[in-house]
Amino acid sequence: MTITEPTIEGPKTEGPLELESGREAIAERPLGVLTRPQGGRGWRDWLSTVDHKKIGIMYGVSAMVFFVVGGIEALLIRLQLAVPNGGVLSADVYNQVFTMHGVTMVFLFIMPLAAAFANYLIPLQIGARDVAFPRLNALSYWVWLSGAIFLNSSWIVGGGGADCGWFCYSPNSGVTFSPSHGVDFYAIGLLIAGIASLVSAINLIVTCLNMRAPGMDLFRMPVMTWMLLITQFLLLFALPVITVALFLLMFDRLFDASFFNPDMGADPLLWQHLFWIFGHPEVYIIILPAFGVVSEVIPTFSRKPIFGYTFMVFSGIAIGFMGWGVWAHHMFVSGIGPISVAAFSLSTMFIAVPTGVKVLNWLATMWGGQIRFTTAMLFAVGTVAMFTIGGLSGVTHALAPADTQQTDTYYIVAHFHYVIFGGGVLGLMGGLYYWWPKIFGFMLNERRGKVNFWLMLIGFNLTFGPMHILGLQGMSRRIDTYSSGFGFEFWNMVATIGSFIIAVSVLVLFHNIWKSKREAADLPPPGPDPWDARSLEWMVPSPVPEHNFDEVPTVESLDEWWHRKYSFDDNGKVVQIATAEEAAQDGSAKGVHLPAPSFWPLVLAVGLPLIGYGLIFNLWLCVPGGLLVGMGIFAWALEPVDDPDATHDHDGHDDDDDDHDDDGPDDAELAAAPAAPGDSTAGAPAAPGDKQGGE
Amino acid sequence: MLFRSGPRRRRRPEGLILGLALLLTGCAADAELDTFQDQSETARQINDLAIPVFIVAGVVLVLVCGAILWMSIKNRVPADDDYEGEFPTQISHNNRLEIGWTLGPFVIMVVIAVATLVTHLAINSTEANAIEVEVDGQFETWEPRVVVVGQQWWWEYRYYLTEDVTTDDLGDPWNLPEADIVTAGQMVIPTGEEVELIITSRDVIHSHWIPALNGKKDAVPGLYTPWKIEADEPGVYFGQCTEFCGLSHSRMRMQAVAVTRSDFQDWIHAQMTSATMPTDENSAEYRGMQVFSNFCASCHLVNGLNDGDYNGAETVSGSAPDLTHFASRTTFGGGLFNTYNSDGSLNDDDLAAWIRNPNDVKENYADDLPEGALPRGMPDMGLSERQIDDVIAFLATLGPRPTHAQILATEVE
Repeated sequence: MTITEPTIEGPKTEGPLELESGREAIAERPLGVLTRPQGGRGWRDWLSTVDHKKIGIMYGVSAMVFFVVGGIEALLIRLQLAVPNGGVLSADVYNQVFTMHGVTMVFLFIMPLAAAFANYLIPLQIGARDVAFPRLNALSYWVWLSGAIFLNSSWIVGGGGADCGWFCYSPNSGVTFSPSHGVDFYAIGLLIAGIASLVSAINLIVTCLNMRAPGMDLFRMPVMTWMLLITQFLLLFALPVITVALFLLMFDRLFDASFFNPDMGADPLLWQHLFWIFGHPEVYIIILPAFGVVSEVIPTFSRKPIFGYTFMVFSGIAIGFMGWGVWAHHMFVSGIGPISVAAFSLSTMFIAVPTGVKVLNWLATMWGGQIRFTTAMLFAVGTVAMFTIGGLSGVTHALAPADTQQTDTYYIVAHFHYVIFGGGVLGLMGGLYYWWPKIFGFMLNERRGKVNFWLMLIGFNLTFGPMHILGLQGMSRRIDTYSSGFGFEFWNMVATIGSFIIAVSVLVLFHNIWKSKREAADLPPPGPDPWDARSLEWMVPSPVPEHNFDEVPTVESLDEWWHRKYSFDDNGKVVQIATAEEAAQDGSAKGVHLPAPSFWPLVLAVGLPLIGYGLIFNLWLCVPGGLLVGMGIFAWALEPVDDPDATHDHDGHDDDDDDHDDDGPDDAELAAAPAAPGDSTAGAPAAPGDKQGGE
Repeated sequence: MLFRSGPRRRRRPEGLILGLALLLTGCAADAELDTFQDQSETARQINDLAIPVFIVAGVVLVLVCGAILWMSIKNRVPADDDYEGEFPTQISHNNRLEIGWTLGPFVIMVVIAVATLVTHLAINSTEANAIEVEVDGQFETWEPRVVVVGQQWWWEYRYYLTEDVTTDDLGDPWNLPEADIVTAGQMVIPTGEEVELIITSRDVIHSHWIPALNGKKDAVPGLYTPWKIEADEPGVYFGQCTEFCGLSHSRMRMQAVAVTRSDFQDWIHAQMTSATMPTDENSAEYRGMQVFSNFCASCHLVNGLNDGDYNGAETVSGSAPDLTHFASRTTFGGGLFNTYNSDGSLNDDDLAAWIRNPNDVKENYADDLPEGALPRGMPDMGLSERQIDDVIAFLATLGPRPTHAQILATEVE
């Protein structure tokens, strides 16, 4: 399939994006029927886009939608547990809600939010015009979205959500014990979403390895890109494992197999091993992107380079490797035997070492710096502190004997929320404030941002801090209610109050986005580099033009962009050699060849949930689903690399911009083919009110 | 001020959390699941390992957050983007320092790892001593061992006193060999003796946890997992299923009741005695026995009544609590309800509510089942109020009544 992608063809001598574009390949329309869509404006553009930035934005927006869904589920959980013998939810509904809260937050919020950053930033940070396989990128998003919608549709058509916990241990996940369709939706929904992550992982790995700008050695890539690259490798190897497990579960439930039926001699621990071989790397999949954000934000706002770049990169790699050798620490009490427990206990402890290196290097970056406490910086520093708590409590249950008391209690709930929320979510929130002006061309208000931050931090600590105490007091996880008389009342009430403070902080975030957008018209545009930052994405206009770079930069050092602005004098003092405006590109390049849009990824993605519904309700539904998928694949393969009409002046897309560049193929070294349709920003440096940034 | 102070500092170091926990709840008499109120050698060994690590973690946390706080105050400059101060020294790395703080945590972890291994070996070793118990007038040498069986949503405890039954003899959990004593919801153990537990399940995975006595261990269907438990002093130690096991997971509770050796002998004696069936045909007890035979005996066993033709329960797990000595146990319904009121009288209200419709007081999947499905939990048997009263009267005759002190000690909410 790579043969059809223009962006990877052609000689690479001048850098990966100086393309020949395969003009020969598009001389005629294959089959005479397929054309590439023209993009254009409005919703049709978004449906067919293959632009990594638009896909990143769609990932981000969808993730925030599911953040609200998962958040409402969280509030229901906290309402139910606010007082003993709570009556807000029945036991049945509670089990569905806590399951879907976990599944939604992990698979439908934080992973796609990280994917949003990965999509948007990796090409920009390595100096590329797009990812390696733009249509595959669109496919990732649409498949993920269809999986996400499919998963949540079980509330409506499946008789409720899955009720087996996000870990869905067998045999409780079997038909006997979970007769509604919830678990079917869980299995198939996650299979679909897994396709998306796998495709995306391959795409971004190839992008990082093959699409870097000239001079952008692997060890000049920003730490953010490094962490995202490691994340993609983890996804690449972890997803096949959960895929196997989910297939087995699906066959057990839908086709009467007995992979997990102990009655027939199956070992229920098989599922646990498969799940956690995926599930533990998943933790790092969640946290590493946030580590990347922190590693960008702290240097920028400390006015210092990241301390120990090499150690930062290698500790990330070490975490990535060691993450595969610790999965059974989720199973210390499952009966796997004392030798295995001892081995996994030790391996788990030593993963604290590379993690500790990261924390200390962040502190060393701040040490002696000049710290500007913008909202992004507050979030980044909050991430370091909160993650440290989560990391330390993690060490306490690496001690297998102590874990026999702690596991499956609220102490664990506290621990992983400090890691995933305190580390992952706070980190990505910082990323949101940091890259917002780059993505949308206007700043988020700092005052409201700080209200957002402090409310979130206080609410977070009120919610999850007390859970340490509750767990050590013996409050089990996943209980829909508790009796008075165990001393659980006070801290549960505190946690519930905290959860609503978090909810308010999220509302403040949405308010801030809405209000800042309205205020942006009266404010000066942020310019390419509002934070005086260090990496390549800040050398292009905000918002980023569709073609990213007017001219692919030649990279000479780590923190390339900073070194284009600053140098050292003879005394080793930093002197400015250019302002950001002088050094930045103005986004005015024309005729940059870009991959053409395509509808087929969307068509293919729509087919998958149809197959899913077919498997659950009526196999005949698989037929149209399969046809859609097949059609998507074939049409994808057969559609031309570019719209053949785009090489002449034609009337097929009058919604295009006037400055559409038509002498493309013979044009200068920028690119061989004409500007992609819809390239409306090519001629205009971004203005704050630019439609493109509106979201 | 709120928005001008530095980044988030850690406000609640781990040590303070523990202090607060102890202050607010830990020492309270009603924190029956508190992991810090250890009542056995094993639980103490665990805490002796965990608490120093908590302290080390607390110190690290204070140092990290202290550094953040200190830098936030000392290195702070105005946040506006046109800050034009001279750049700080651009230090990019320091290999010696970085190797140092790679090795430092490594050394700390090695120390913790050694301590962990020592404790791990200790709590996984067994040194159970055989004790002598009298069963039906015969003295038997018994290696204290209880087979613990989880099912939705109650625990069964099986004692093999007269023959030495080990894991190899148990077969599959759905056809366990007949035991001398079978109880539900309450495990009685002699104090000062290490009791071996063999833990398994008949349906989904559960986890057996008596926090004061030891950590937890999962009950996995088809797997017999060894574990151990012991109590220093006579007492009642509360537990809760801790592996998510479906609908009534939160209502799957249990107690370990530790008694002196002589009390344990008395308990064995009482449990080894078959129930005496009522004979007065005009009594409520007799009518209750008949109702029981008609409605209850297909699932529940009462030795002396239906042990001749009992073949397991018609439930998914194939089991239901053995009621032979129902009245000798102070809780019912999976450790959820008191069999007796605080004044020592029978808790008719909860018993009646339970028998009237179990799903009302503890959610289950036993009614309105699809064709061919077996119940999980006890169905609504559709008994009349009179039948319910009679059955309760019959149940009250099963087994010797516990003392008032026992009733008070084991009382649940």
